[in-house]
Amino acid sequence: MKKTGKNDLLLIVVLLTGALIAGAGMWFARGTGTLDGVAVVTVDGEVYGRYPLKETWEERIELADGSYNYLVIKDGKADILEASCPDRICVNHRPIEKGNQSIVCLPNKLIVTVENGEVSQVDSQTY
Amino acid sequence: MKKRITAFLLGLGILLLCLLMDTRTWDPLRNQGKLTRYTATFLDVFDTRTELVGYAKTEEEFTAIAEKIKEKLMHYHRLYDIYQSYEGINNLRTINEQAGIAPVEVDTEMIDLLKFAVEMQEMTSGKVNIAMGSVLAIWHRYREHGVEDPEDARLPSLGELEEAAGHTDPKALIIDEAAGTAYLADGKMSLDVGGIGKGYAVQRTAEYIKELGMENFLLSVGGNVYAAGTKADGSHWTVGITNPDKDSREPYVETVKAEDICVVTSGDYQRYYTVDGKNYCHIIDPNTNFPAEYVSSVSIITKDSGVADALSTAVFNMPAKEGKAFIETLEGVEAMWVLKDGTLQYSSGFSVYAQ
Repeated sequence: MKKTGKNDLLLIVVLLTGALIAGAGMWFARGTGTLDGVAVVTVDGEVYGRYPLKETWEERIELADGSYNYLVIKDGKADILEASCPDRICVNHRPIEKGNQSIVCLPNKLIVTVENGEVSQVDSQTY
Repeated sequence: MKKRITAFLLGLGILLLCLLMDTRTWDPLRNQGKLTRYTATFLDVFDTRTELVGYAKTEEEFTAIAEKIKEKLMHYHRLYDIYQSYEGINNLRTINEQAGIAPVEVDTEMIDLLKFAVEMQEMTSGKVNIAMGSVLAIWHRYREHGVEDPEDARLPSLGELEEAAGHTDPKALIIDEAAGTAYLADGKMSLDVGGIGKGYAVQRTAEYIKELGMENFLLSVGGNVYAAGTKADGSHWTVGITNPDKDSREPYVETVKAEDICVVTSGDYQRYYTVDGKNYCHIIDPNTNFPAEYVSSVSIITKDSGVADALSTAVFNMPAKEGKAFIETLEGVEAMWVLKDGTLQYSSGFSVYAQ
């Protein structure tokens, strides 16, 4: 067999294409995180609840003293839409979707963080 | 037939290569050692959020070190508190209460802070002044009220501000190192280290963390960021500078490459209150006794966190042009301004850190 047959060429093309698709898939999965992100809410250091970011969820997180934070999980992001705290820093905060990001409500001692999922390239921020 | 086998092997080889590029096999932490990255967050220090990022073999090990760090920060918190007293320690509140009455015996760490504050006051020609407590207290009261009851938000009267501003001369702060005392010779004067205390505490705490044997970590107390060493994989830390424009899709206006360096920002967009539709921020210009309105934010990059904090407050109290000229006179200090219209300005050497 001196010449490469048409079938051989076809096989090479098929295998290469397959490998490329597989490679591209892995590259993509690597970029977006292979695990699904979960928003974790803690109140005064204790875990209050865990909310998968791929689901849609709304919850009024009520604290013992009557104060509250209104949590919304939507479009793969966690956000506080309303809260009883006067400074409203948590409400003004952008929605979060990546590890290393968090929303903090100081008066209510509430923290929302993201576990799993893609990790933000930014390790910390000044404000 | 041979060709077919070659092609098949080639395809298989490429597939294997792709598999090798999967994150798990490339994760340097997994390959080099068994260190895992952890983050601890506490909300009980300096009325802000503290974040510690570091590496440890187990979560228990990290939690144990984080607890020690929290204790250290709590110590500074109590020392610099002007609103509360604590049993067994003389803090800033004690000194303020004894103004015009008697010198107060204080911890050497308090003496160190006060000396540092005086140094910063001189370096910035009074643009950061811890003796401004009386003026800051007025604004604090009006801001708290305005935040609690926005309908009734008001501005302090010029009269009461000017009266208070008559009692802000740092020369009335008498530090007696030999006796270990601090005394305010002006009975109406009071100290407030809001502009430098956090940064100074971060500096001291970062030194303590290194003594504990941790070399690679990131400590942020309310956005006073100390980046020690590198990440475990040897790459630099990345610190984002928050975009003052909350409606923008971009969370950061700039990201900084940080390795053994501190980044601190002073801005008008987080702590403020609104009177008749206008925002009044928490940083008060000693020249006008009113909230500074020159720029949206100033970020400082330098080795010492205390210096970074003091300078960010001082430069926030200057027009950008004046601030820039001032920063250029200092060695090892870079700065970035976000102007009111969103324009960015940089000091001449900032590009070394810009990502």
